[in-house]
Amino acid sequence: MSNTEKNNTMTDRVSYYFKSQWPVLLIITVSGLIYNLGLLAGPWFEGRMTGCLVNILGGKSTFTDMLVLVICYVIAIAVVQISRYIKRFYVRRFANNVNKNMKEVLYNSLVHKSRPQLQEEGAGDILTKAILDVDDCAEGMRKFTTEIFDTGVALAAYAGMLLFYDWRLGLICMIFPPISYIIAEKMKVVVQKTGAEYKVQSGRLSAATLDRAGNAVTYRVYGCEQERKQAYEDNLTAYEKSAVKANIWGTAFPPIYKVISLAGVIFILYFGSKNVLGTGWKSWDIAVLATFVSCFAKLSEKSSHAAKLFNAVHKAQVSWRRIKPLMKHEDYKNADNDVKCDILEVNGLTFAYPGGSDIFEDVTFEAEKGDIIGVTGSVACGKSTLGKVFLCEYPYKGSVKIEGSELAELDNTKKAGLVAYLGHDPELFNDTIKNNILMGDDADTTKLLKAVCFDEEVNEMEKGQDTMVGNTGVRLSGGQAQRLALARTLCHKKPLIILDDPFSALDKDTERKVFANLKEYTKDCVVLLISHRLYMFPQMDKVIWMENGKTVVGTHDEIMKKCPQYAVLYNEQKGGTSDEE
Amino acid sequence: MKNKSVGRVILNTIRSKWLLTAGIVITVVGAIVTALIPPLILAKVIDTVTVGEMPAFYMILMYFGFLLITGLMESTRETFLTVFGQKITHALRSALMDKYNNLTTGGLTSQEPGTVVSRFVGDVDTVENLFTSGIISMFADACKIISILAVIWFKNKGLAIVLLVILPFLFVFTRIVQKNMLAAQIENRRAVGRASGHVPETLHNIRTIHTLGKENYMEERYDEYIRESYAAVEKTNFYDAVYSPVILILNAIVVAVVMLLSASGNQSVLTLFGMSAGTAVAVINYISQIFTPVENLGMEIQTIQSAIAGVHRINEFFEMDEFSVKKDSYITENMTKKTDNDVLVDFNNVTFAYDDDKNVVENLSFSVKEGEQVTLSGRTGAGKSTIFKLLLGLYEPGKGSVSIAGQKVTAIPDDKKRKIYGYVEQTFHMVPGTVKDQITLYDNSITDEDVIEAAKVAGLHDAIMELENGYDTICKPEDFSQGQWQLLSIARAAAAKPRLLLLDEITANLDADTEKNVLEALNRVSENRTVISISHRTNARTGRIIEIA
Repeated sequence: MSNTEKNNTMTDRVSYYFKSQWPVLLIITVSGLIYNLGLLAGPWFEGRMTGCLVNILGGKSTFTDMLVLVICYVIAIAVVQISRYIKRFYVRRFANNVNKNMKEVLYNSLVHKSRPQLQEEGAGDILTKAILDVDDCAEGMRKFTTEIFDTGVALAAYAGMLLFYDWRLGLICMIFPPISYIIAEKMKVVVQKTGAEYKVQSGRLSAATLDRAGNAVTYRVYGCEQERKQAYEDNLTAYEKSAVKANIWGTAFPPIYKVISLAGVIFILYFGSKNVLGTGWKSWDIAVLATFVSCFAKLSEKSSHAAKLFNAVHKAQVSWRRIKPLMKHEDYKNADNDVKCDILEVNGLTFAYPGGSDIFEDVTFEAEKGDIIGVTGSVACGKSTLGKVFLCEYPYKGSVKIEGSELAELDNTKKAGLVAYLGHDPELFNDTIKNNILMGDDADTTKLLKAVCFDEEVNEMEKGQDTMVGNTGVRLSGGQAQRLALARTLCHKKPLIILDDPFSALDKDTERKVFANLKEYTKDCVVLLISHRLYMFPQMDKVIWMENGKTVVGTHDEIMKKCPQYAVLYNEQKGGTSDEE
Repeated sequence: MKNKSVGRVILNTIRSKWLLTAGIVITVVGAIVTALIPPLILAKVIDTVTVGEMPAFYMILMYFGFLLITGLMESTRETFLTVFGQKITHALRSALMDKYNNLTTGGLTSQEPGTVVSRFVGDVDTVENLFTSGIISMFADACKIISILAVIWFKNKGLAIVLLVILPFLFVFTRIVQKNMLAAQIENRRAVGRASGHVPETLHNIRTIHTLGKENYMEERYDEYIRESYAAVEKTNFYDAVYSPVILILNAIVVAVVMLLSASGNQSVLTLFGMSAGTAVAVINYISQIFTPVENLGMEIQTIQSAIAGVHRINEFFEMDEFSVKKDSYITENMTKKTDNDVLVDFNNVTFAYDDDKNVVENLSFSVKEGEQVTLSGRTGAGKSTIFKLLLGLYEPGKGSVSIAGQKVTAIPDDKKRKIYGYVEQTFHMVPGTVKDQITLYDNSITDEDVIEAAKVAGLHDAIMELENGYDTICKPEDFSQGQWQLLSIARAAAAKPRLLLLDEITANLDADTEKNVLEALNRVSENRTVISISHRTNARTGRIIEIA
C-alpha cells in the first residue's frame, strides 16, 4: 500500500472515499441515468406496439410501421440493459474499492499498535470488530449508490410519465404505494421485535446443543440423558414458536403489501377506459392506456424497494459511526536498521507490571558483541519477564544502556531496529515454510534450515520448503515449529537477540548442534538465551541465575560454586535422562 | 427407533400434520391458478375499450379481486410453509437428540461438540430450506411455467411454440451462469476467510511482526488477500450483472417477434400468431411472467444441491451405532443374588478394546468389598481410565462382566445410577443453570437439604453463601477458582449419597493450599463409603492398592 499517497488525506471522512473514486462514480452516474430513464422506453414501446397492432387490424397502419417500431423497441431495450450491466458492475467495483481502502487504513493502525495496547486496552478487539463493520459500511454505501438510481431516479421517471399522461389519474393511483409503504414501515417494529426474539432463541438452541454435546459423558454417567432430552425438547418448542412468529411477518406480508400498492389499477382501468372513449379527463388512445397500466405496475414494484434505500443508509451510518474514530490515517516510520549494540550494560534493572509487585530486582550485568548469555532459574522466577523488558512494552526501573545510551530514551525507530525476540510461542504464520522464514526478504533458506537442523525433515515433506505450516503452525510438531521460528529469527537478526526457551522440545544432540550454529551466526550480536535446560550453559559466556526476584551473575563455573541449587539442577540434568525428550 | 432418516422424519411429519399439508397443496395450486386470470380479464377490458365500449365495472373490480386473491393465497402459502418447515426442523432435531441419547459412548465422544452443533443446527436448517425454498417452490415454479404456456397456447399458438423452443436454452444458460457464480462465490469465501484470518493472526504474532520490523510486509500480505477476494467478487459481479440484461433483452426480442408476426398480414402466419390488441397486452404480461420462474428454478436446483450434502450428513448420523444394552435386564433389588453379600464391585475376567484396536484391558479380574477403599495404580496408558469407564457402564466389555451390587453396570437404569455410584471427574463440567443445578444436575429428587449437606462436605458451603443469590445464583465460569470447581465436582458426586464413589486423579495445576482443601474434602466424602480411585499421589489416602499391569 502506498502510505505516501494517503498523506494529508482525510481518511476519516466519508466524502474522501466518494471523491477518491470519482472516475468509477462518473461511469455509474452516466450509465445509471441512461438505464433508469430508459426504463420508460419499455412500457412506452409496448403501448405503441399494441396501438399499432390495433391500427393494422383496422387497416390504418402498415406492416412497415410495426417493423420500425419493433426494431426501435429491441434497440432501446438493449441500450437500457447494457447500461444496466455497466452500472451494476461499476457500483460493485466502487464498493470493493471503498471496502479495501477502509480496511487498509484500519489494518495499518492495527499492525503498528504495541502488544499491551492490543491485548490489555482491547484495541485488538475493537479493530477486529471495526474491520467487520467496514463490510457493513461499504455494503451500505453500495446499496445507497444503487438505490439512488434504481429507486430514486426510476420512481421519479415513472411518476413523471404517469403525471404527464393524466395528472389527475396519476395522483389518484399513486396514493396506494405510499399507503402500502407506511403499513410495511409500521409492521417493521413487530418484524424487528420478533426477529430479535428469534435470534435469542436460536442462540439458546445452539448453546443448549453445545452444552449437551460438551457434557455428554457427564450426563451419561449421572443418568441425566432423559431429563436433558426433555429440556432440549422444551428448547425446541420455544425455538419453533419464535421462528414461526419471526418468519411469518417476514414472508406472509410482502404479497399483501404488493396487492395494496396495486389497488390504484381499479381507477386506472375505469378512468383510463373513459379517457380512451373520450369521456374522461384526457383524450387517450389504446396505446396510452396499455402504457399507463404497465408503467403503474412497474412503479408500484419499485416503490417496494424504497424501504431498502432508507435501511441501507441507516445501517451504513451506524457502522460508520463506530469506525470513524479509528479511521485517522497516521504515518508510521520503519525500523532503523543501523542500530548497533556492541556493548550492553544493564545496571540495577528492576521490573514490575503496572500495578503489580516487583518481579525481579537489581539485575546487573554487561555483555558485548558475540556474547551468549544464559538466563535460568526455577519456574516462575521471572526469567521470561527479564527477556521481555527489552521489548520496552512497559517502563522499567534502573538502567539499560545500549552503546552508552539509555534504552528507554531511544526513539521508536531505533528501538524497533534493536531487538529480535523469540518467545515461548513461535508465532508462525499460516504460510509456507519458506515464507515464514523470509517474510518478504531474500535469503538462503536452505542454509538457515540447516543451521537449525530442520533441513532434512523439510526435504522429506512432500512440498519441501513450500509446505504450508497451517494456522499458527499446527501442522508442525512443537520442536519443528521452534526450529522454524529460530531460523526466521536468524534470518532477520538484530543486534540484540532474545530467545526464550527455544530448545525446550529438542533432544540433546540436536540442541547441541543448533547451539553451535547459533553461536556462529550471532558473532556480531548479543544473545540472551533463556532456558530451563542447562546442558549448554557451560558454553555460555555468562550465566544469570534468578530466584525469588534476586539474581546472581557470573560464568557457569562461578555460579556452580555460588549457587548450590543451580549446581543441583545442572548435575541432575547432566546425569539423568530428561523426561522432556 | 432404528433406521431413522431425514426422509422418514419428513414423511411422518406430513402424515401427522395432514391438514397443514393439504393447506399447502391448496394454496400452492390456488396461487398459480389465480395468477393466470388477471391478464385474461385485462385482455377482455382492453378489447372492450378497443371496440369503443365502456368495460363493465365489475370486470375492473374482478381484475383487482383476482390480484387480491392471488396475494392472499401467496400469503397463506408462505404462512403454512413457514409453520410446516418449523415442524419438520423440530421433528428432525427431536429425532437427532433421541439418537444422540442412544449412541455408544465411543460414538458420543468421537464427535467434537462443534460438529454436533453444526449437525443439529446448521444441517437441519438446510433441510428446512430444501423443503420450503427448494422442493415446494420448485414444484410451484414448474407448474407456473406449464400453466402460463398452456394459456398462451390457447391465446397465441405461435408464441407458445417459440417459447417452448427458447425455454430449454434459457434454462441451460441460467444454470451455466449460476454454476459459475457459485464457484466464484466459493472462491471468494475462501479468499475472504484468508483475509479475515489475517487479522487475528496479526494480533497473535504482533511481537514477531514488531521486533522483526515486518509491518509493511504484513500490510502487503493483507492487501494481497483482499485483492484475491476481489478478483473472485468481480467474477461474481460479472455474472450477476450480465444475467438480467440478457434475459430482459431476450424478453424484448420475443415480444418483438410476436408483434411483428401478428402484424404480418400473412394469413398462414396469422393462424398461429394472430391476436387482438387485448390479447397482445395479456401476452406481453405473460411473457414477462414466464422468465422469473425459469430463473427461480435454477436457484432452487442450487439450494437442493447444497442441501443434499446436509441430508447426507444427517443420515450418516442416524446410521451410527447404538448402545445395544436393554435397560430392562436390570434385576430388581429383591431378586439380587445374595451369594457374595459384601462384594460391591466385581470385575470378572474382563477384556476390552476400543473399536477393534488392541486390547486395553485383558482378562482382568478384581473385586471390591462394601466399605473398602481401593486405589488403582499403574503406569500411564496401563488402562486405569478405561477401567473407570467400564465401571461407569460407558462401554460394554468385549469379554467378561462388570457388575456393581450384583447388577450388570450397563443395565443400571438412569434413575438408579446416582444412588449406586458417584463420580468425581478430572475436570469439572459446568452445566447451564444455578449453583444448585451444578450439584443436582436437574435431579428433582435431590432435596435442598441434600444439596447443602453435599456442599458442606465438599467445604464449599461458605463460598456459595457469599454469592449474590447463594445456591440460586446463575453460574458463571468466573464465579469459582479452579480448586473450588473441583470441590463442586465432589459435591455433585456426593449429593445423592451413593454407595460407591469413583475418584479420578485430580492432578491439575492446583496450588498447595487448594490441593489441601480438595484432599480434605475427598477424605470427608470418602468416610463410610466404598471408594475406588486413580491417583499418582502417594500422600492421598490409598487403602488397598490394585496394580494394573
